[in-house]
Amino acid sequence: MNFEAVIGLEIHVEMKTRSKMFSSAPVEFGVEPNTLIVPNDMAFPGTMPTVNRQAVINAIRVADALHMQIDEVLVFDRKNYFYSDLPKGYQITQDKRPIGRNGHLDVKTDVVRTISIERLHIEEDTCKQLHFSDYTLLDYNRSGVPLIEIVSRPDIRSGDEAMKYVEAIRSVVIYADVSDGKMEEGSLRCDVNISLRPLGSAKLGTKVEVKNLNSLANIQRAIDFEVRRQERSLLLGQPIVQETRRFDEATRETITMRIKTDAVDYKYFTEPNLTPIRLRRDFIDEAIASCPELAETKARRYLGDQGLSERDASIILQSKDLAQYYDEAARCTTNYKALANWVTGEVVAYLNKKSIPVENFFISPSQLALLVDSIERKDISSKQGRDIFAEMLSTTSSVKEAREKLGIATQISDESIIITYISEALTAFPESVEDYRDGKDRALGFLIGQIMKKSGGKVNPGLTSKLLVEELKKR
Amino acid sequence: MKAIDKEVLKDAAKRLLFDMSEAEYDTLLSEFDIIVKQMNIIGTIEGVESYEPMTFPFECATSYLREDAPTRPLAREEALKNAKSKASGQIKLPKVVG
Amino acid sequence: MEFLDLTIRELHNELVKKTVTPLELVREALLRAKSDANNAFELIMEKEALNLASKLKEPEANNLFWGIPFAIKDNFSTKDVATTASSNILNGYVPVFDAAVVKRLLDAKAIPIAKTTLDELAMGGSGTTGHLGTTYNPYDRKREHLIGGSSCGSAASVAASIVPFALGSDTGDSIRKPASYAGLVGFKPTWGRISRFGLFPFATSLDHVGYFTRSIFDAASLLNILAGRDDEDSTSSEVPVEDYTRLLTTDIRGARIAVIKEVVESIYDKDIGAAFQKTLASLRARGAHIEYVSIDRKLLESLFPTYIVISCAEATSNNANLDGIKFGPHYEAPTYEGTIMQARTKGFSELIKRRFVIGSFCLMKENQEVLFLRAQKIRRMVVEKITAILSDFDVIFVPASPTPAPRIGEMSDRLSDEYLIADNHMIIGNFAGLPSITLPIGFKKNLPFGGNITGSPFAEARVLQIAKVVEDISGFYNLSTRTAKV
Repeated sequence: MNFEAVIGLEIHVEMKTRSKMFSSAPVEFGVEPNTLIVPNDMAFPGTMPTVNRQAVINAIRVADALHMQIDEVLVFDRKNYFYSDLPKGYQITQDKRPIGRNGHLDVKTDVVRTISIERLHIEEDTCKQLHFSDYTLLDYNRSGVPLIEIVSRPDIRSGDEAMKYVEAIRSVVIYADVSDGKMEEGSLRCDVNISLRPLGSAKLGTKVEVKNLNSLANIQRAIDFEVRRQERSLLLGQPIVQETRRFDEATRETITMRIKTDAVDYKYFTEPNLTPIRLRRDFIDEAIASCPELAETKARRYLGDQGLSERDASIILQSKDLAQYYDEAARCTTNYKALANWVTGEVVAYLNKKSIPVENFFISPSQLALLVDSIERKDISSKQGRDIFAEMLSTTSSVKEAREKLGIATQISDESIIITYISEALTAFPESVEDYRDGKDRALGFLIGQIMKKSGGKVNPGLTSKLLVEELKKR
Repeated sequence: MKAIDKEVLKDAAKRLLFDMSEAEYDTLLSEFDIIVKQMNIIGTIEGVESYEPMTFPFECATSYLREDAPTRPLAREEALKNAKSKASGQIKLPKVVG
Repeated sequence: MEFLDLTIRELHNELVKKTVTPLELVREALLRAKSDANNAFELIMEKEALNLASKLKEPEANNLFWGIPFAIKDNFSTKDVATTASSNILNGYVPVFDAAVVKRLLDAKAIPIAKTTLDELAMGGSGTTGHLGTTYNPYDRKREHLIGGSSCGSAASVAASIVPFALGSDTGDSIRKPASYAGLVGFKPTWGRISRFGLFPFATSLDHVGYFTRSIFDAASLLNILAGRDDEDSTSSEVPVEDYTRLLTTDIRGARIAVIKEVVESIYDKDIGAAFQKTLASLRARGAHIEYVSIDRKLLESLFPTYIVISCAEATSNNANLDGIKFGPHYEAPTYEGTIMQARTKGFSELIKRRFVIGSFCLMKENQEVLFLRAQKIRRMVVEKITAILSDFDVIFVPASPTPAPRIGEMSDRLSDEYLIADNHMIIGNFAGLPSITLPIGFKKNLPFGGNITGSPFAEARVLQIAKVVEDISGFYNLSTRTAKV
């Protein structure tokens, strides 16, 4: 019996706005507990929510990037339940009218498949809990931080596909400048729903939820394990228990967390403290137009007009900051392939070696572009280029300053000038001409050396060699 | 609609995280009786089901959205001054499981 | 007459003339408050009031509220002053911020002298369910009569002339009913006209900030400083604020006044009926056009049950933050659920718990359709009907209560059909968010009773204009236990 995995993903993205979703408290990380609170966040009686404009803009950007329909009226609902990390006893979310609906994302594994995205909605985060052996501490700093929840249809069929789907979403939210998408820090969280059914069957099997997946690799591992586990059970005739499981990193297995009895009734109703908000068409359009360029768009340009290789393109796109660096440099030059080589080669190697982020890289994009152009123009050789690069970094100088320090003046590529040097050399060393005619190739190297010396190393070696051979042939 | 008996009401109270006395559940049952009866009568008002539920007293859609500018937060002592159980600048609870 | 027995306007004149100082006024108010026998106060703000009053030296001629003492219903957040909503679950809670309206009054240099009692969490209409017990009607020195609720303490404090005005809240007539029982002007402007920021919520979509005064002019003046958009309350209106006193001296010739037939018919008290008819006649004499309109009985009878469903549902959710963890009395337990359970079991009265169970039940998935959503549909029907009436009339005028203040013990008997319409018609003003005002129109056996005027959204000036004429007609200007000829 062959089974098909039916997988749906719920992704929560923490938005990096400056203030919270429904209150004006600051959003910051790594500060002392309970120092980012305004009365609203502690659910003091009489406090009321106000909607963060930038958070709405961010949600629109992501929804648009995922090809969703955007609702022009913003309505919120209350999700009512009691939990220690929920100060109001309810969460303000969007149940009936999510801001984004019916989107999709293409995911490439060994084939390209379109995954449907059911909804994208705005809500608020809960408190952070710190668990000790016999007590728990509550930090309300995170309470109210804006969240986007993205819910896919159960179109995903494998752990690999799920991982790539999450990777794609992560790329969108990072490039759109909506979130830093750090799974290990919790700014992007993923819950998975998995069921199995016989291949060809339309009926859905019992769903198991897997939570606490804190890395892309773990998403794949958890799903792969869970699929095998469910398959084994089904083949043995054992029914799947509807439950919530967590992924254990050490054993790479999913483990029961709690059995789901009835689905919890959240008693949703329209949030009466927030009158419906009209999102004007021009507001929505502006939110979309002002979105920073997404990786998908950059990739099209890199692989298309700029003719970069897939390898170079994917290395550049792995980091938003690196892509930004590359893009800025690419505005100053048309030697894209060469530029990409430098960026994915020398630059990345240096950054990795020194463990510094791109923002702290000393050489500006325009300076790197200048360096690349100089090499492509043959003003300097590639080796000279690498020397200049190293000099710039160790003495924090510009291209011009580094060249001066290293004594690498402009390379001579003017043919008439080179021919002058050649003529001088041939006149000065007639025996070399003789030697060359006699088949002694060493003479060529000698003559080039002399021309180099005479021109202070400035002649373009390749060009000089070519012209020298031509002259020699004439004599 | 869910059938109403003491067990259902006890479960509802439990989910709201409080207890009531047995006598109160009896009172509550009779109150529910009246309410359900009246809501059923209301269900017979002509045309009621064709109406959309109304949350707000009148049409009051707005276009206001708050600028994303953080304001000064409360000092920690102020934010927590009404909390009775604290430790290390945080609110302290018995260990939360699940 | 003692200064504190005056209306705000008259008191202001005296302050400007320096015949009295804020400190003297506040001292007198505190004295009266401390000797109050009607259980009107949760807390007297003696230190704070004296401190504020002593700082006021030069009267502001253009500021009616400079130096004026007032009281605050204890469901308004007051910074550094305990606020309990008359519920044990909030004993000892000291807010770190002021409600928007409190802040506006403080900015105007008015002086809060006390927090007043209310029905617990504002969820009541008898004035008997607050954690300090029953609040009595000052019109009965024997303390055998109620003053209604939920704004019982605020009503009592103004009726007894302890302060010339007091803040209240109105979710299902909680200002306008006690105003009738206490012979006061009780005003609830349009939903969103006054910011609710800092008002402990009962039922958000029905809650209104309002107040008690002893004259229409005072009510209009108070609206001038309390009305207006507050960005902290997303539901507060951006409709521009007017001068709400501007129509008070104009005549009402041609004003169209609707009287709801079924409401009048539901009131059997002959004295109230007579006083009401007499007022109508006088209004006619002044040029108003009065007409009876009809609202389907069944719709009117549905007001109370649908109000219970909607208000209990919203209230259950609004009070889910009360858990003893962030504030309020805290109890140790082995689990966090246990700690919350103790706080809520001990902190809420049985009545409140029953209301919450009702509310929660109405919101459950399987019940929402026939309970909560159906109630919201009725709400729309009611709003549609009343809007249709008001499109043809300036205001609706009806008796505010079917009887004067009830005796203690009488109120809970009144859930019978006899009073279903008569006791609850003012809920219309909450469902539709309409500006609505109660003011005294008569006395029966030394107990006052009032009439209620309701207008279209944001037509406060019009409502106040017609109310002023009724005030002139009745002669009950500045009515209090100290001025009433009883």
